[in-house]
This record gives sequence, C-alpha cells and structure tokens, in this order.
Amino acid sequence: MSALLNNLNPSIKAIAVVIAVCLLTFVFDPFTPLIYGIVVILFTFLFGKVNWKLYIGYYLIICLLSIGMLWTSIAFADEPTNPEVTTQFLFWELPKENVTVALSLTLRMLTFAALSFMFIFTTNMVHFILSLMQQCKLPPKLAYGILAGYRFLPLMREELQQIRAAHQVRGVRRASGIKESIQQYKRYAIPLLAGAIRKAERTAVAMESKGFSGEKARIFYRQFRVTFIDWLFLSSMIMLLIIIVAISIKLGYFSWYKGQF
Amino acid sequence: MTNWRLKEIIVMAVLSVVFGIVYLAFLPVGKLLVSFMGPIGYDFIFGIWFIVSIIAAYILRKPGAAFLSETIAATVEMLLGNAMGPIIIITGMIQGLGAEAAFAATRYKRYSLWVLMLAGVGAAIFSFVWGYFRGGYAALSTPYVISMLIVRIISGAIISGVLGKAISDALAKTGVLSSFALGKQINKARSVS
Amino acid sequence: MIQVRELTLWFNEHEHPTINKLSFDLRSGETMLLLGPSGSGKSTLTCCLNGIYPRELDGEIAGDIHIFGTSIQDTKPGEMSKHVGVVFQDPESQFCMLTVEDEIAFGLENIGTPRDKIATKIDGVLQMVGLTAYKEANIHSLSGGQKQKLALACILALEPDFVILDEPTANLDPLAKQAFIQTMKHIQEDKKIGLIVIEHQLDGWVSFIERAFILSKAGHGVFDGSLTEAITKHADLFQLEGIALPSITELALQACDNNQAAFSKIPFTYEDFTTHMSYLDQTFLETTAKKSCALEPIIEVHNVKLSKKKQKILRDITFSWAGPSFIAVTGANGSGKTSLTRLLAGIEFPSAGNIYVNNRSINQWKQKELRQQIGYVFQNPEHQFITDRVFDEIAYTLRLRAYPEATVQEKVHQTLASCQLQGMENRHPYTLSQGQKRRLSVATMIVDEQNILFLDEPTFGQDAASTRELMHLLAARYKNGTTIIMVTHDMDLVDKYANRVVVLKNGEIVADETPTQLWERPHLSKWNLDYPTRIKLKRHMEGSHVCITK
Repeated sequence: MSALLNNLNPSIKAIAVVIAVCLLTFVFDPFTPLIYGIVVILFTFLFGKVNWKLYIGYYLIICLLSIGMLWTSIAFADEPTNPEVTTQFLFWELPKENVTVALSLTLRMLTFAALSFMFIFTTNMVHFILSLMQQCKLPPKLAYGILAGYRFLPLMREELQQIRAAHQVRGVRRASGIKESIQQYKRYAIPLLAGAIRKAERTAVAMESKGFSGEKARIFYRQFRVTFIDWLFLSSMIMLLIIIVAISIKLGYFSWYKGQF
Repeated sequence: MTNWRLKEIIVMAVLSVVFGIVYLAFLPVGKLLVSFMGPIGYDFIFGIWFIVSIIAAYILRKPGAAFLSETIAATVEMLLGNAMGPIIIITGMIQGLGAEAAFAATRYKRYSLWVLMLAGVGAAIFSFVWGYFRGGYAALSTPYVISMLIVRIISGAIISGVLGKAISDALAKTGVLSSFALGKQINKARSVS
Repeated sequence: MIQVRELTLWFNEHEHPTINKLSFDLRSGETMLLLGPSGSGKSTLTCCLNGIYPRELDGEIAGDIHIFGTSIQDTKPGEMSKHVGVVFQDPESQFCMLTVEDEIAFGLENIGTPRDKIATKIDGVLQMVGLTAYKEANIHSLSGGQKQKLALACILALEPDFVILDEPTANLDPLAKQAFIQTMKHIQEDKKIGLIVIEHQLDGWVSFIERAFILSKAGHGVFDGSLTEAITKHADLFQLEGIALPSITELALQACDNNQAAFSKIPFTYEDFTTHMSYLDQTFLETTAKKSCALEPIIEVHNVKLSKKKQKILRDITFSWAGPSFIAVTGANGSGKTSLTRLLAGIEFPSAGNIYVNNRSINQWKQKELRQQIGYVFQNPEHQFITDRVFDEIAYTLRLRAYPEATVQEKVHQTLASCQLQGMENRHPYTLSQGQKRRLSVATMIVDEQNILFLDEPTFGQDAASTRELMHLLAARYKNGTTIIMVTHDMDLVDKYANRVVVLKNGEIVADETPTQLWERPHLSKWNLDYPTRIKLKRHMEGSHVCITK
C-alpha cells in the first residue's frame, strides 16, 4: 500500500470527487455505480494509507442504512408505467421498473459513500483548509475561522459530558415526552453555546494580537502545490467513469437520467 | 468579507461547527422516522437542518451569514462522515440560499419572528426543489410528494424559525452576545425603556 | 517606548468611562505590574495597547497612546503585533490551529516572515519556553501550563518590544504557575523585553518586577511607583480590591495584626522575613491543631476500582471517613481526584467495589434521595445553571421537592444572605461576576441542607476577595455540621481549613492523614505537591538558624 492518495493536493482531490459525484447523478442504472464503486474502493485500498478498521466500520453502517433506503424506495414508489413486467426480488414478485430504480438509487448512494470516504480517510482536515486558501482563494478570515471552530470540537464534547453530569446533580429528571426533550436540549444547548461564543470572541482577539488581519496575500509555512500527479489522478478518476459507462452501454445496461425521478 | 469583524466570522464558524454535529446526530433520527413512515419521515424534522442559518443571520445580521453558516455546517457534516459526501455541501449551499433569500427580501433590515419563519420556509422550498431533482422524489406518487412539501414547509417555519429564535434569544439573555447585533439591539431597547 | 496620555474610554452600554484619564510611560526593557480589581479596565487597556481598540471598539476613546511614536489611532490591523504581544488568561481560547508547530507558524505568517526562516524561529522559541519535545503535539493534548507556555512562545516568535501578560496564571495550578513565572523571568532577564503583568496575585512576580501601577475600580490610576511602597502604604487597598499579596507578606501581616510579630519593613520573600523581623512569637508558626469532632461514619469505600477505555483511573481504593469533617483531596493533575469525588457523590459508578454513604450502599440510594444528602459543586459554575434568574436557580431544588412557596421564599432568602448574593435575585446567572457565580453554585447545593458537600477546585480562577468569601462560607457550613470534601491544589487553604487531607497518585491513595502529619513528610514534591507558606517559612528559619525570640 502506498500513500499516494494521502499526498495528493487536497483541493484537487476534493474537486475530483465532486466531479465524479456530479457525473454519476446523471447515470440511472444499477450497473455503472456498482462497478465504479468497486473501482473506487480498490483505488483507496491500493493507493491510500487508511485506518481500515474505521473505514470498514463506517462502510458497514452505510450498508445497513442503504438497505433501509432500498426498502423505502420500493415500498413508496410511484405507480409503474408497465406494472405487468415483474421480477423476482428476494421473496417477492415486484414491478421490474420499481426494483431497478430502487437498486440504482441505493447503489449510487453506496458509491457516493465510497468516493467521499476516499477523500475523508486520506485527507488531513487542516491541510484541506490550507489548500482551499491557496488553490481555491478561500478568504483567510473564513478559513482560519473554520479552523478555530474545528479546534473547539473535542473541547465541547468534554463540556457536554460535564453539563450532563452537572444537571443530574441538580436533580433534573431524565426527559420523557417531546416537550421535555426539547426543553432538555435547550438546557444543554445554552451553556454549551454560550461558552463557545465567549471562547470564539476571545480567540478572535488572540488571533488579532498575533498580527492576523485577514489580508489575502500571505506567506504559508505549509505550501500546497498542484503537480502533474494531481492532474493525472483527476483525469484518471473521470476516464475510469467514462470507460465504465462505455462498457455498460455496450452490455446494454446503461440508462440516462430521463426524468424518471 | 471585508465588513465582517473577525470575531463575527469566528462566532459564525463555531456555530456552524456545533450545528454540523447536531445535523449529523439527527440523521439517524430521520432514518428511523423514514423506516416507519416512508420518505416523509424526514420532512417532519427537516427544519433542524436549516437552523444554523436562521440563528447565525439573526445574531449577526450580516448579508451572507445564513448562506455561509449553512455551507460550513454542511462541510463539517461531510468531514465528520456523512455518507452523501461532497453532495451534502451543495445541499447546504442551496438550503442556505433559501434562507438568505428571505433576509435579502427585507434588505437585511427586519428580523422579526415572521421573517425568521419565512427564512425557514425559504430554505424548505429551495431544499425541496433540489431534493426533487436529486433525491428521486418523482418516483413517488404526486399526492405524497405534495404532502411532503407541506410538512417540510411547516417544519422549516416551526423548528428553524421559532426554535432558532428561541435559542438565540435565550443566548442573548446570558449576555454573551453583547457585542453582536442581536445583543446590541436588546441593550439598546433596554436603555430606551 | 509606550506613552499613555490622558486615556479615557467609554463603552456604549456603560454610563461611566471604563478607563479614566490614565497616563503613564513604559521604557523599553522595563517591567511593571498592573494591579486592579475585576472590572477596572485592565483588559480594556490591553486591547488599546495591542491595537485592537479603537478599531474594534463599540464606544468612544479620548486621549492617546503612542508606541514608539506611532499613535494607536493610525495603526493598520495587525501592525501593532510587531511591537506588543499579549498572553491571555484562558488557555483554551488563544489558538486557532491544531498543532504546536502550526500555531507558532500562524503568527509568523501573519507578520510576513520569509518562509525559509519560519522553521528556525519555531525551534528557537520552543527551546526558550521548554516545549521542544512537543513540536508536533496536538495542542488539545497539552496541560494548561504547557498551553500558556505555548501562547508565550507564539508571541515571542514575533519578537515584540513589549509583552503583556493578562492574568496568565489565573487558571493554572500552583506548580504550573511557578513554572510559568520562572520561564518568564529567565526570558525577561535574557532578552530584556518590556513587560506588563496584569495580575490578581503577586506571588512569584515580586522576585523580578519592581514597579507597580494600581487602577481603581473607576478606572483611575491611583498609584505608580515601587511595589514595596505600594504594599507598605496601600496594603488595605489591596485587600479591598481583591488583590492577593505575596503569601509570605500575607502571613507576616496576619502575625502583626495578632501582635505575634513585628517587622522593620514588610517582607515579600522568605529572606526578607528573617532580615526585617524584629520580633516573632514562636507559637505563630505552630497551628492550633484543628479539632475534629468527627464521629459518624459518613463515607466508606471498599476496594473501589475505575477503568475507562482500558485505562486504570483508580486502583483498589479502600477507606472510611467520618463526619462532620473538612477533607481536602489533593494530588497531581490526572491522579484521579475528580474521578474519586464523582464516584463518592454517585455521579459516576465504579468498575468494581462498594461505596457506602451514611451506612447505606450507594446503589441502594435513589437518585432523588442521594441528592438530598450530597451536593456537588462543579469546576465551571455555569455548567450547573439551569434557569435564567438567580432566585429561580436557588429555588429550583426546593420547588422540585414541592415545598410550599412561603418556605421556598424564606429558604432562598436565607441562602442568598449566607452566600452574599442579596440584591442579585433577578439577575441572569451568567451575568454575575466570577466570584458571585461560584457562590451561587454553592448556594444551589446547600439550600436543601445537604450534609455532604463536594467541591471541585472551587478557588480556581477566583480573585483573593472571592476566595476569602467562599472559604468563610464553607467554614461556616462545616461548623454547622456539614462535611466538606474539597479538591484543591492550594496547600495554604489545606493548612488553614482542612482537618484531613487525602493525597492521590496514579489512582491510588498514598496519604490519608491530618495536614500536620502530611507536612512532616520529607518529600512532598514526589507527589507534585508543595508545602504551605507557614511550613516553608519554618523550614527557612530553621535552615538559616534564626533565633526566634519570645
């Protein structure tokens, strides 16, 4: 396993994923997303250094969710145009059209997940934001603002546990019913948000006294560049999709978006 | 971005990060409702997913607050593992634009409860149109789709509009917003009365 | 140099100016302590000096500040940071990057340091503050003291002419506090940077800062001169404004008040104490052993263990405490103090073992009943507030118990009085001062007459006056028969108030005895503890063979 994916320029990697996702949205058969999804997972496996335990765990959850989605999109489907054409799906005789639509929607979601995991599991969040600033002209004020906010995450998790315990000691009962639950959410939310806002204000002052002015032109300690490899990756992701579409046209599986959904 | 103070940007970013997590946490709730009721299950709680744009716009009262906060929240949601991947960012942008449209219609001058509810409705409509083209609603029967839209509009008005205002007002009472537009307005109202 | 001339500043929402006609000069390389009560405009002045005001100010400013001849009115954003750097109080909210290295780089990028010089500068400042080993560490994993050193490193990297420290040690434990002050002292002596230290307490700083500037509550400069003179002439002012004198000075003044000692000059250090002392009553250094009337077994613990995420937090703890007592729980950070008290209060549950509260297993208590027995004051008071009015906050528990409204009124007013919160009934709890918030959180935990009260580092981040008020309140509760169990790092408090002290190390109890017994142990530093001032003074006098006259 190499770390090629981890070393790609984060912005280009994100753009590749976005383009692939957008193109896939127009494809409307189960075959194309299935094959492309498998290719993406293989790609991640071959060229990425990934925490596989976590990856597989996440992916299993997504698979479970997609079964739910498959079921709802069959159960709540519109009246099919050709109800007499049916197919055997597990134990049921169902209209073929409905099953195809549901399968393609579900497989598409699984492929989206594979693409997005390829990005998430091989990208350092800070590097991504820094690269967005350098390659995509994200304003520094916004970029460092997001980083500062992101830094609060572990802090707030701890704080939420504290608040929960603190309220328990006050004798706040566990909520039952919708109204009490909403009230309880509000009770947790206010100290958490108030603390976060106060810290955010202080952080802003601290950043300004370190000379931060939000000027667009700035020097970067960690520089991100776009290299030949990045373009190669981007084009091969798209080429692969085109090749798979070509194969599925040849095999007669392919179908476009024609307002079916 | 030039007429934004740094602390306003950071407060917006922090709110977005917090609600990005809330958004992610409510996905399983939505999934659960869907498995009972079908796709309409989401629509009952859909307002949750617009709430940060209403809160940020109401507190900061700056053009762009609704759009940016919703976009950042969606980005955070993606980075923490939403299965939709980058699509969710586009979804966030569209929802944010819906809310932003309502505030823009008042030229960023009015922030009454009705305007906030309208912003929730705006986000609901925008997100519904996007969902229609992307999420496969057309595969569902027409009366069902219409009832989805109605439920989502109500949810947007109530959950994001009314609840969003309630949370912001409760925050203002703690005094932490005193240097932001909402807090200043309250202080002014107090010193006049 | 810094020249402040007739500086006056109003905030829009305030009636009176926060800073009022303030003038002073600070030469390059000079050090100064800026003292004043909370709300006297110290932090506002900081914002003026580093160029954030008047640009970000919602208010008006008159007079001027010149820094090396440039007026603060004419500076562009970010420009002042090359001259003046600030370390703030809260270690959690000074950073915007995830790692130590990136955070220091952030400041250097801001001022346009060439890329190839950044790495060398980072290594340089990390060495200065002693964090070289943590270069790639995640900031979140650092301790509070390390975070403050990092904040200092970030500022030093920009090579400012002046550094302002805005209560940098208020949220640190005593050892981290000493370490930070030592680091700062070495750097100041080495680099000769101009230094303004804003503080509530003087311990440690007096060893290298000579000049003091005192602000009054109304934002006037009331004193500018040598620290010695300030303490000698204005000791009463310090007391009034909640500024803590050096602990040795405090001790000396106390002895004078009791006619147990006399000095030719007020001492600031142990050396001063012996040189300036003309008379000392020997009994002063001995404590009157605090009598314990503890009879009833109140908490018993058998073989309690606690593990979290495969980490052993507490290993096999057994003890029996009788009440009423005043118990101090102490030990290094991460030794398990908070975890232990939380188990005892029934907030968390042990992985193994049994806990008995008032002779009944904690598992047999219903939550509701247990809360009537035990109060627990968390470190951050705001976490415990659930209503938006002080009165309702205190009344909450009583109303939960369905007391008649007349009783509620009466009890709440009693509690308000005993916690010195009269007149605050209608305020929102969040808008109170730090000290008032702390007392309110205690009030909510004693209003139901709970007979065991836990407190997790209650004096953390409090100024001297509110610490004093809080300790008075706790001592009074103890006298009335409440058992107080307090997690603390402050050995002077332990010495003064506790009649039992429990020391934890790596999840085990290594000492459980009276404070007097603990002070007799030779090496408390192996448990990361310090001796109280009284004991240190005694040792110092024995070491220097000062004869004590009676």
